[in-house]
Amino acid sequence: MTSFLLAYQSVFDHILIYALLTMSQYIVLRAGTFSVSTPAFAAVGAYTTTILITRNGFSPVLAITAGAALATLMSVVIAHPLSRLRGVFQAVASLALVQVVVTIGLNWESMTRGALGISGIPKVATTGWLLVVTACVIWLLTIMGRFQIGRAMDVVREDETVAVSLGIRVSYYQRLAMILSGMLAGLAGGLYACHSYAITPEEFGFPMLVNVLAMAVLGGRTSVWGALVGAAVLTSLPELFRGFAEYRNIVQGGLLMLVIAYLPNGIVDTLSSLLHDRRVERSVTKAATGAEAS
Amino acid sequence: MLTQQIFNGLVMGSVYAVFALGFTLLFGVNHILNMAFGSIFMWGAFAGLYIVKTFDAPFVIALAAGMLAGGLLSLALDFVAFRPLRKRRAPDFASLLSSIGANLVLLTIAQKVSNTTVMRFPFDTFPIVIYDVFGLRMQLLQLTIMAAGLLMVLALGYMLYRTGVGRRIRSVAFSEKTSRLLGINAGVVNAQVFFISGALAGMAGVLIGIAFNSVHFLMGEPFLMQAFVVIILGGLGSMPGALIAGLVMGIVQTLSYAYISSAAAESIAFGVLFALILIRPTGLFAQASSIMRIQRR
Repeated sequence: MTSFLLAYQSVFDHILIYALLTMSQYIVLRAGTFSVSTPAFAAVGAYTTTILITRNGFSPVLAITAGAALATLMSVVIAHPLSRLRGVFQAVASLALVQVVVTIGLNWESMTRGALGISGIPKVATTGWLLVVTACVIWLLTIMGRFQIGRAMDVVREDETVAVSLGIRVSYYQRLAMILSGMLAGLAGGLYACHSYAITPEEFGFPMLVNVLAMAVLGGRTSVWGALVGAAVLTSLPELFRGFAEYRNIVQGGLLMLVIAYLPNGIVDTLSSLLHDRRVERSVTKAATGAEAS
Repeated sequence: MLTQQIFNGLVMGSVYAVFALGFTLLFGVNHILNMAFGSIFMWGAFAGLYIVKTFDAPFVIALAAGMLAGGLLSLALDFVAFRPLRKRRAPDFASLLSSIGANLVLLTIAQKVSNTTVMRFPFDTFPIVIYDVFGLRMQLLQLTIMAAGLLMVLALGYMLYRTGVGRRIRSVAFSEKTSRLLGINAGVVNAQVFFISGALAGMAGVLIGIAFNSVHFLMGEPFLMQAFVVIILGGLGSMPGALIAGLVMGIVQTLSYAYISSAAAESIAFGVLFALILIRPTGLFAQASSIMRIQRR
């Protein structure tokens, strides 16, 4: 049993880190914002953490906090102009941001060592710590979802016009979502750096963007658990089909297309709405039979 | 030297213009940002190369093959990736995601087919003839590329603004619902638009493949990113905008490659895209209808 756990520990760790990244994507999607800048903020978090630990000798906790803080700061700066754009244009602008960050990472060699990346990061993000952090984030996001802010985000996502007519400030909530997303992505990036021995700029490029988006969409966009399920499925899938490693991208791309076309609400949302429907049905029939009996 | 670089830039720019016209046509009519467009471009180049290699075909045939392949591939993508979404009236973002998935699939297949190698056109595909006009070195190939681009733009313009097909396309672009009410078969028009835009991408692929004499599976990605700059600069959905911005982009890029460095040229492109979309997302040639679609106040 322990050997089994050890063999799959790294997969498990990956699931947790990617779940955090996916939650950063989930929170913007929940607010109806189509920013895909998670990898950019993750890169900022990861590089800040790495540089502070390896060059300035910061303690990992402090370094990760600083990384998350810097990513948050960046998202604060970016969020305002982004919230002025609509749907697809937010996606294009944030895509450009991701490319800009990767290009800076590749070319600012005195700071990031370019394409070689920075290695020798102490592996402090153990499974236990990752579990604790992920649990805390899930807890916070669930609580947040239940209060006014979560509901306002739901309205903004479902129908902007209705949101405006209810007096909800659309761009305010979108900005809030983007800032939260930046913070989470920075945190996840820092943990990512402290989990892998080395980081390179290209890890935080388009492939990560596609991965995270696919996970968020597969899991579902309205509940935190969707992010976890999406990350778990898409991280473990390649491990299960190791023989088909070359076709991994085809499977992932095809899955993304299929899910968008035929399961647009994702696994968790579809399941929970099914359960909800059944519960409603049952209570309706119970009420009906009760009425007949009396 | 400067005029030479500007001339080279114009050659590149005419290819950008062809590619961007295809992309912006698709967006103007179907409101789809097709992230798989770079892959269609790449497959067009693959098809042209394949025809040249196996049948020893001349340049014109290769160009036609590239266009046909690009058009058919784009049509296939419409049926597989976008039609189910349109039927469900899914938001624009869904089609963006779907096209990212399609792009991944097409890229990986191309990587398998080409064994991750860089392929080249045979040496004698295009005769090397160099003209010397007022100190400008003009290759016959460069002139042909420009002519092909110009011809394509003129043909597209004629088709869109002077024929029945074009009128139907423009009316669907204006409002699909109204055109349906007026008895236009919007499904057919959408298919036509997908084919035309794919054909433009395929043509651009063959032209770029033969201009740099290198065809590989990743050639579409940077091109798509640069085309994004062109399209946003010109204003999404605006045909004259795409044309002018394409030429400007070609010149600016060639100049920055020549006088600064290739890394700088890339960061400049992305930086400009990012700054542009934040400061003036409607581009330089915005129409009132596109402003509404892009910004909220």
